[in-house]
Amino acid sequence: MTPALVLYAIFSLLPIAATFWLSFNSSAGFNTASAFVGLHNYQATAADPIVWQSLWHTFLWLIYHVVLAGGLGLALALAISRLKVTQVFFRTAFFLPHLVSLAVVGVIWANIYDPFYGLLNTGLTELGLGAFTQGWLSDPALVLFSVNVASSWQGFGLYMLLFIAGLQSIDRALYDAAEVDGASSWQKLVHVTLPGLREVTTFVVSLAMINGLKGFATVFVMTNGGPFYQSELITTYIYRLAFQSQDHGRAAVLCILLSLLAIAVTIAFNRWRTRLSR
Amino acid sequence: MSTHHREWPVVLGLAPVMLLILAPFAWLVVSSLKTEAEIGQADPYAWPADLMWRNYQDAWQIGGFGELVGNSLLNLAGVVLLSLLTCAPAGYALAKIRFPGREWLFYIFILGLTIPVQAIVIPLYQVLFGLNLVNTLSGIVLAQVSSGIPFGIFLMRSFFMSVPDELVEAAKIDGASHLQILTKVLLPISTPAIQALVIISALSTWNDFFLPLIVLISPEVQTLPLGLVRFASTYASEYRLVFSGTVISFLPIIILYILMQRRFTEGLTQGAIKG
Repeated sequence: MTPALVLYAIFSLLPIAATFWLSFNSSAGFNTASAFVGLHNYQATAADPIVWQSLWHTFLWLIYHVVLAGGLGLALALAISRLKVTQVFFRTAFFLPHLVSLAVVGVIWANIYDPFYGLLNTGLTELGLGAFTQGWLSDPALVLFSVNVASSWQGFGLYMLLFIAGLQSIDRALYDAAEVDGASSWQKLVHVTLPGLREVTTFVVSLAMINGLKGFATVFVMTNGGPFYQSELITTYIYRLAFQSQDHGRAAVLCILLSLLAIAVTIAFNRWRTRLSR
Repeated sequence: MSTHHREWPVVLGLAPVMLLILAPFAWLVVSSLKTEAEIGQADPYAWPADLMWRNYQDAWQIGGFGELVGNSLLNLAGVVLLSLLTCAPAGYALAKIRFPGREWLFYIFILGLTIPVQAIVIPLYQVLFGLNLVNTLSGIVLAQVSSGIPFGIFLMRSFFMSVPDELVEAAKIDGASHLQILTKVLLPISTPAIQALVIISALSTWNDFFLPLIVLISPEVQTLPLGLVRFASTYASEYRLVFSGTVISFLPIIILYILMQRRFTEGLTQGAIKG
């Protein structure tokens, strides 16, 4: 018991407490004198338009990730679980992207989106679809979505595995009963499969949201929040404030905001899940 | 059952989706064997005239990938070992030993399960700095183990709770100490939980970027993802090096996964559902 607690106290609990303390102090950088400034950092944070922008981007980022990665994971799981002979093959193949580190995914997709040599634009041109080529990472309206596609490409594999496990735990007898009643495959999907997946779904959605909140590496590598903060997330803004601008007070306020969001998501989904299991 | 009639339509539907999703891998591998001029032609469907294996030699040497892989392996071994050593006893204590404040302690650990590491990074850096652990592999190992402890404890605790109390009581009557109960009675039957903990902590360590970015400053101590990002931005205009370096970064784990895919799948699903 003790070793775990000591490690955890030094490297997790102490920092959690110290983050609160930092948020009430001014500090010009690591190992410099700081002074108590009350709520000043909170006021400065609320007045910073980039904070609100990064909060909005983080919200969009979560939605994109849940829909793209969660949706693809569910669709593939539904298809793959119908297979007998080739199930392991497809499950293995579709899981491959999840093994790549998100930072490496950032390097890969930065090259895929490269306007001149990238797979996407050159591939579209060669197929005669040159009209669809884009500055995927330079268009302010597109950049957040483009980067999220990269993250979701890496993320969907785990959700797919969880949905497959969920599908396997549905009682076969329910399907047999539905067949006896003459249900079509669509009716079986809507009345047996999807209700049977409800618990896994709440779990996957909460996992995807927490993963989304932690999103950092792909944005950092591919755009560093740009162009003009158009792909800035809370996490990348924390990094910028803490390690580039050395403004620890305001970074700490954002850290607290991020923690509160994570706690809110966890509590909301725990409530939802206990209500389902009742 | 008519399962075989159902198999092929689904296979035919899935095959193009699979090609689309795995296309980035194929494109990277093929491009990594091209000359700079061939990449410059910007035709992703063209095959290289000669397979340029020396792109790999060059990338390996220029990028110092030997050192990066070595650091990543050390980092991974340290985290996996230390996670087992800390989480198994703590999970046992929380599951099977009654002591005052047990519930309370459990909730303190759960708190860490929800708070992302990005949210505590400034003081975490200060703690590591104070202990002289910035820019060391030991520093990154300790920080990663600590951020993985809540999940590990949760996993081990829920597995140990599913073991009948009678088994533990019987060992106690025979005069076994807590350490003996843990190592002789519980761990031998805990293979699924241990497997899940090993695979999840290994994968998350191997892929971690945020903590290494902050803690590991000099190239000699950096891990693979961080080293690749630095390499790719330094040699951004030499595509053949960036491509082959990228393939070096993902190929080992993909081969390992294909060899052990059943264990990986079991470990990840078990771990995620229990945790």
